[in-house]
Amino acid sequence: MTAAPGQPARSVLACGEVRTCLLPSFQALDGRAAAQLLRLRADVHVRVSERPTTYVLSPEILTGVDCRLPTSNGSKVRAVGTVAARAALTEGRLLQSTAYFSLPAAGPDLRRPWGQYLVRPGLVEPFGKLPQQATAEGVLRGAGRGELDLGMIAEGLLSQLRRHALLDRGKPFKSSPTKLRWVARRTPEGERASLVNFTVAEGGLRTMELRLPEHIPAASAAGICEDLALHDWLLTSVQHMLDNSRLGAADGPSVVKALHPIVVHLLHLWMPRAHVDPALGHLWDVLEEKPGFSRQWENLSRRIRDRLALQAVAMPQQARSAQAEGRNPNHIQTGDKT
Amino acid sequence: MLIFAASDKGGTGRSVTSANLAYHRALAGDDVCYLDFDFGSPTAAAVFDVGDARQDTEDRGLHAYLIGEVSEPARIDVWSETEHQVLRFPPPGCGRLVLMPGDVSGGEFATGEENLRRCVDLLMTLYYEFDLVVVDLSAGRSYAVDMVLEATAQPEMSEVTARWLVFHRWTRQHVGAAASLVFGKRGIVAGGVDRGHDEEALRNSIRFVRAAVPDPESPLWSQVSPTQSAWMRKTDGDLKQLASNHGIGYSQVLGSVPLEPVLQWREQLITDEDVLDSQIANEATWQALNQLAGRLTDDKYWEPA
Amino acid sequence: MTEAVFQETTAEPRTQAVPLAHLSLELGHLYMEDFEAGPKRLGEHFAEVRIWVDAVRASAARRSKRPRISTCFLIDDYFTRFSTPAELIPMVLKEAEKAGLVIDYLARESACAVADRVELAESVMHRLVESPPPGSYGSRPPVSRTGWLANGQRTPTMPAPALGGRAKGWEPPQETAARNHSIFMDVELWSEKDGRRLWSCPFLAAVWQLARLGLLRHLGQPVLMPREWQGGDFPPDWDRLDPLVKLTDTKAPFSAYRTCTLMPNRFLAVEDAVRLVLDQIDVDAGALQQVAERSAAEGMPVPAAVAQRATYVFYEEPGGSSEAGET
Repeated sequence: MTAAPGQPARSVLACGEVRTCLLPSFQALDGRAAAQLLRLRADVHVRVSERPTTYVLSPEILTGVDCRLPTSNGSKVRAVGTVAARAALTEGRLLQSTAYFSLPAAGPDLRRPWGQYLVRPGLVEPFGKLPQQATAEGVLRGAGRGELDLGMIAEGLLSQLRRHALLDRGKPFKSSPTKLRWVARRTPEGERASLVNFTVAEGGLRTMELRLPEHIPAASAAGICEDLALHDWLLTSVQHMLDNSRLGAADGPSVVKALHPIVVHLLHLWMPRAHVDPALGHLWDVLEEKPGFSRQWENLSRRIRDRLALQAVAMPQQARSAQAEGRNPNHIQTGDKT
Repeated sequence: MLIFAASDKGGTGRSVTSANLAYHRALAGDDVCYLDFDFGSPTAAAVFDVGDARQDTEDRGLHAYLIGEVSEPARIDVWSETEHQVLRFPPPGCGRLVLMPGDVSGGEFATGEENLRRCVDLLMTLYYEFDLVVVDLSAGRSYAVDMVLEATAQPEMSEVTARWLVFHRWTRQHVGAAASLVFGKRGIVAGGVDRGHDEEALRNSIRFVRAAVPDPESPLWSQVSPTQSAWMRKTDGDLKQLASNHGIGYSQVLGSVPLEPVLQWREQLITDEDVLDSQIANEATWQALNQLAGRLTDDKYWEPA
Repeated sequence: MTEAVFQETTAEPRTQAVPLAHLSLELGHLYMEDFEAGPKRLGEHFAEVRIWVDAVRASAARRSKRPRISTCFLIDDYFTRFSTPAELIPMVLKEAEKAGLVIDYLARESACAVADRVELAESVMHRLVESPPPGSYGSRPPVSRTGWLANGQRTPTMPAPALGGRAKGWEPPQETAARNHSIFMDVELWSEKDGRRLWSCPFLAAVWQLARLGLLRHLGQPVLMPREWQGGDFPPDWDRLDPLVKLTDTKAPFSAYRTCTLMPNRFLAVEDAVRLVLDQIDVDAGALQQVAERSAAEGMPVPAAVAQRATYVFYEEPGGSSEAGET
């Protein structure tokens, strides 16, 4: 992405927040319904990709801001511009929204006509010099009152989508959303992008720091962060479901009932780097090395399959009768309502 | 499932009892979220003994969220934040217990479309995330009551099961007032119908909880004179008749909580330790709370009368 | 990004480019009252306009030795329907010719609302990104609900004072980009009548400016593209006239880097409102980039802000007709 001619819009920092949640619907959406859901603008294409997984990406919408930047050292920096927000739906099941913006090293000391900000979407200009380190830390810590609130923008988009009339608002199973805040420091062109830090914090919060060469658009950084957030959500949610007390000592149909949604809705979703800018795909490598995201997922999947296999062995009778029921279309169980 | 806790007046033990119900369900393995919608006099932080965490979330509570000042209300994980010695070590197998505090400074506020929007969003988010969501509403026909009536009438919430508990004390005034809060001209049912609720469905989703009920048969009263004892029995009988006349008789009652000094004086969660080890609370209270907690989701108790 | 072997067309949508002139010059905008005043009035308009057209051409010649200028004319068929294309258009063309003017492109105003079954005004409305007053940290004011757009903060509505609170006195509105003092403006974008939305004149005029600036796209495709007039009679019904008709064989495309609009000075307020709207539209980024790159390559880079690309000449209406035109 190039800046408009004569506009020194080189950014030194890109920041964002990704929210990941289960789509509130019994039925996973097919590509066409997903495109309809994410049609945030009637006149812009929704990106639909069907290989290797169905992945639908909305057009971007902008939110105007004029407020203080979040900073870790209390310095008060006013900034004006637009924050870009977009949403993605993976396999018609996992819904994500991202709000992100870039920051140049410095900006003018007064507010310019609004139209000048609008022609550089996703850029927020500080008044004066940008305290880079403090802002990066502030974004990761989260906005204080009156500070630029990426979470509010991302959540606003997410709740707008969750209200969509297309959704049946069903709850196939209980799950918690996660949020991932990220900052990317710009590095000279030619350098390789790298992952500096990925932290799993409490309350579904994840933070991530990257180094991003100048020629890679912020949207691509948002993309890799969405990909990592999605897979982290899968690990977190499935782990939580397996940890659930009721599963621990239980056996019999309750195990099948508890594991059923994982098998039906989640197991096939693991597909790292599927829709990531190739220039950033290697960022996964560090996390595969330690802690080993895919390794953990394989382990979880195996546990689930073993558990179900054990169940089938222990209760051949029930398994058979369940099979018989399965053949009768009147007995097919779709999710259960609460 | 959503549970709304309402009461006609203050002092009915609504907050402390509903907090105890949330606690019991979490012990039983449910993920539970407790929302303090008692704007103006939030007490939940004290009940759950999370005073310090409460200080940290000052001004980021439900009130600030509903008026749009923060993107999401603060959450307090009770197990990890509480200063209560017993609660800090929940038994294995229990579910999450999360408190969303109100704001100390936040009073009632004017209703608006945006507030309502945010209220619906919040309730829906929590519905997807938790097994049980308990909402403690300020006493009377308050703004909080109006807002959740309006929210649950929205089409997007039509699939969500919402149930109401109306707490009242076991006295003539309280029985009358509770009946009027629900069935009166400006009551919950009428207010709900105005907002688009189906009257039958709404009526069937409301049950009463009799709080601080003295049991004439209790050993507490074993020392009273025969005259006093006879009078208590008679009064209890009269109250039952009165409740029945007001349409809040036996079939509309989900349960009773006995008169319990620990609830009356300390407003705290009653743990099994309070009952078994230190024995400051009565076994009967624990039993009553446990039973009530179970009935919240037991459809048998929510069938049309 | 490295070129991948595998590609999906639905995954990488592109914005198609449109041909661009240097300047789109609007020679007038015909409303019913102008028509009712008769051909003579129209002739006087064109005679006045002619003077300014020469000035505009002279100005354009300073930027380029061979300026590509296309002229256009807009007829209102949206707010009031009058006459027919068959009757009206030949009369307009004749009066223009008498003044020595050529109209290259002719558009119907309703085309700014819907053209070729694309809801242009609706799409543009969804592209409004309100200028945030100071203190906006991410909560999004819902424009589409109010139907009004301002250049600042309105006077707060005064709710009944809360219990114990004191009623506040009047507070002035505040222009966000004020210099010392505010010039606050609040523009009605549409009204609703019988469940139907009637777009306001400034809003449609903003869509018209975007079309002339080559910045409208629908799903990446250009919209409101001119169709050649095949000769013969114009249709007896406005709906059967193409939204944008090319009347001459000019080589200058309809859309251009810049626009210049010549109109009577009674439209000043409308056009000020148009600028307010243009200043808050998030234009298709692909189209914006194409225009920026090509204008720069021709050595006449466009101003960054879209509203700055539109200029105007407001002239005095001939023959005291401004009174006649006022309703």
